[in-house]
Amino acid sequence: MLIFERIGSFFGIVFGIAADPVNLAVLFGSVLLGILFGAMPGLTSTLGVALLTALTFGMDTALAMICLLAIYVGGTYGGSYSSILINIPGTAAAAATALDGYPLACKGEGGRAIGLTTTASAIGTVISMLFVVSISPIISSFALQFTSFEFFLLALFGILISGTLTSPDLVIKGWISGFLGLFLACVGRDLLQFYPRFTFGFMELESGIEVVPVLIGAFGIPQIIQVLKDRTKIAEAQKLQRIIPEIGTVIRNIPAIIRSALIGVGIGSVPGIGEDIAGWVSYGTAKNTSKHPETFGKGELKGVLASETANNACVGGAMIPLLNLGIPGSPPAAMLLGALMLHNVTPGPMITFEHPTFILEVAAILLLASCAMWITGMLLAKQVVKVLRIPAQLFMPIIGLLCIIGSYSLGLNIFNLYLMLPVGIICYFLIEMGYPIAPLVIGVILGPMADENLRRALMVSQGSFLPIFQRPVALILFIIIVWTVISQFEFYDRIKKKVVLFILRKRERSTAGSAETNNSGEKTTD
Amino acid sequence: MKKILVITLVLLLAAMTAGNVFAQSFPKRNITAVVVWGAGGGTDTCNRIIHAEMQKFLGVNVNVINKTGGVAGSVGMSYAFSRPHDGYTLCGLSESNVTAGVQGGWNNRFDVWETFIVGGSPDIISVTPNTPYKTLKDLIEAAKKSPGKITAAASGAGSIHHLNLLALEKGSGADFNFIPYKGSAPSQNAAMAGEVSVVVTSLAEQQQLLRGGKLRALGMLIPDSFDVEGLGTIPSSFDSYPGLSKYLPISQAIGFAVPADAPLEARAALQAAFRKAMATDKVKNWAEENYYLLSGATGAESKAIFNALESNFAWTLWDLGAATVKPSKLGIPKP
Repeated sequence: MLIFERIGSFFGIVFGIAADPVNLAVLFGSVLLGILFGAMPGLTSTLGVALLTALTFGMDTALAMICLLAIYVGGTYGGSYSSILINIPGTAAAAATALDGYPLACKGEGGRAIGLTTTASAIGTVISMLFVVSISPIISSFALQFTSFEFFLLALFGILISGTLTSPDLVIKGWISGFLGLFLACVGRDLLQFYPRFTFGFMELESGIEVVPVLIGAFGIPQIIQVLKDRTKIAEAQKLQRIIPEIGTVIRNIPAIIRSALIGVGIGSVPGIGEDIAGWVSYGTAKNTSKHPETFGKGELKGVLASETANNACVGGAMIPLLNLGIPGSPPAAMLLGALMLHNVTPGPMITFEHPTFILEVAAILLLASCAMWITGMLLAKQVVKVLRIPAQLFMPIIGLLCIIGSYSLGLNIFNLYLMLPVGIICYFLIEMGYPIAPLVIGVILGPMADENLRRALMVSQGSFLPIFQRPVALILFIIIVWTVISQFEFYDRIKKKVVLFILRKRERSTAGSAETNNSGEKTTD
Repeated sequence: MKKILVITLVLLLAAMTAGNVFAQSFPKRNITAVVVWGAGGGTDTCNRIIHAEMQKFLGVNVNVINKTGGVAGSVGMSYAFSRPHDGYTLCGLSESNVTAGVQGGWNNRFDVWETFIVGGSPDIISVTPNTPYKTLKDLIEAAKKSPGKITAAASGAGSIHHLNLLALEKGSGADFNFIPYKGSAPSQNAAMAGEVSVVVTSLAEQQQLLRGGKLRALGMLIPDSFDVEGLGTIPSSFDSYPGLSKYLPISQAIGFAVPADAPLEARAALQAAFRKAMATDKVKNWAEENYYLLSGATGAESKAIFNALESNFAWTLWDLGAATVKPSKLGIPKP
């Protein structure tokens, strides 16, 4: 009965919000703004939520939440536009999308890819919303399983998996790229004891390497050089085809979409990490479980669906520990926490007593935001593909300008440009040599997390690595990491074949043996 | 003659426009407040509340960003101080930041900042609920039996919560294994998750978790007990360990700062807006509901408070053996 009552009041809230035209206007406006933020290189959903936090102070709590959640959902989705169309991820979360999205765009199926990701993102958000309403206390307790060792292993896994997935030829190149990123992340004052590392006396390096200029430099500049050098088109503009729901394709991929959404919710609920890892892990799972892993990276729709569903499902996942424990599950959720505090809502275990309907309200807003995102996305998809008709000689310099503005706008710091340009040029040569770039960026993003948590974990355990084997989540992560590494070596295949052969032979022998005994049995009865 | 007339006119015009610009010179664009602690922590929330009110009186937005890390928040502080000293970059900080100098993260004395104090919340020591420690005495005795084994979390080395922990160790003779975190919120998270057993943060930061049963309060680190709705009275730790009065209390002074050599006008405009914001019901109600005590000190008053805090913190740290730079090297007088 209680559940029905809850569902009833949930839809009551949904219609209550949707009935007010002001709410709807704010909803659509914020989603659109979010999509723009996501699509522009350098502007992220974290920044969008942060900028709107101050603006929403004057609004009442419900309207402010509509505004902030809508920009969060829109921003997470919008990153896929630039990933698919021009191979420059608008946000780190959409980096995995570019792997298959851009090849699709090159084949002239960019519009189709965007149409499908729109639907998948919306479904992902709705599934994550269901988790927020139903079993969020259980997921919060899962979030509490993560201590420093787990955070370290998760960060390491994120770097390794992106390295494994993106290498065009040798996997080791992906890992090298990832560890270059880790090295870059070490620059600056260390986070526990404040010792300057690799700063060479530069004040600007003291606070470490900023992620956004590295992201823009690493993805944007090589792409600009490449397109202008080859004098090619950026991608095929558009074959005549409908963008609007390919319901058949979506239904065929429903199991994959649900799996990706579950991964997104799970990773979103872990404090402090968010959309970027979710996209990679989901993409990796899709590739590893696929019957045709060789099609990934060459324009596989399933790859695009996997990463985009997961990063949007992360939004709801990140809300779970935020609402139930007061711990933000992702960087934009941390901004949301600040906004909630401003409205005198302190999320935490007491929230269901102090604001009984608040969690349901958040879920209702998530549902409406994903609907608004779907409608806006469908209307936009056909139009945005047209940017590819602009000649590359005109378009690429504009992208270059946007890259510069995006890097500079972060803290209005000119040093970011000095960082972006060399990173971009180095990355161009790395790409020429067949090194994938995404692991480098992921390394810079997750590096501080890996570094800080490993050392803190060792402080807690007083120098012992034993807790990795004693804590269940840590052990699982450790085994996955070891397997990820070992499975790439040749001897693993050889051993696997031998083991499989050995088992098969044993089974043959035993079945043969049992058959014989049966036969002999039959004979004796005869 | 004509030439002179023209020149005088031009000069006059220039002077007038310059004067005009001068008259309404601050603030002309949005202000950024760089908070040196993590989002959702005490300093962060306090800054977001006060700046949201202040921007109404200033007529421009105050965007609050977080820049965490380092010893005593020195990464964010160095960043804010490296921006132009024009009043458009504020630094959201707290008393904990005064130790950055003696910890080797900051080469100046703290009076390079002009400070604005909003207030603070008293510190409290708590444990993970499934630990065997029911009272402060249980915990301290256990820590004395196995020195350096019980893990205790607090935000960054040299933070007020770390200092409270150090003072508690000094005053009671216990010895903990101190684990630094990026802010109060992650340290409480670690205590909830059971990664560490003990956590020291402020009551404002902890009250939700205490009332929700996610953490167990052992004692206030101030001379008085404190009534918390739904929890009853939390005793003062001074009751069981009177020796603590030699080292405690070390009180919070949360607020923000602007470089002291910023234009006078900018500082005056900020002070005026700050005073008006402190008087609003929104700030007052917020303080009451969140277990804060408001201060409102500015100018010479807050300078005196911070000078006292600086010398107290710096020399306490030095005496505790936790400082790397001798305070006298930076010119910090003994308390």
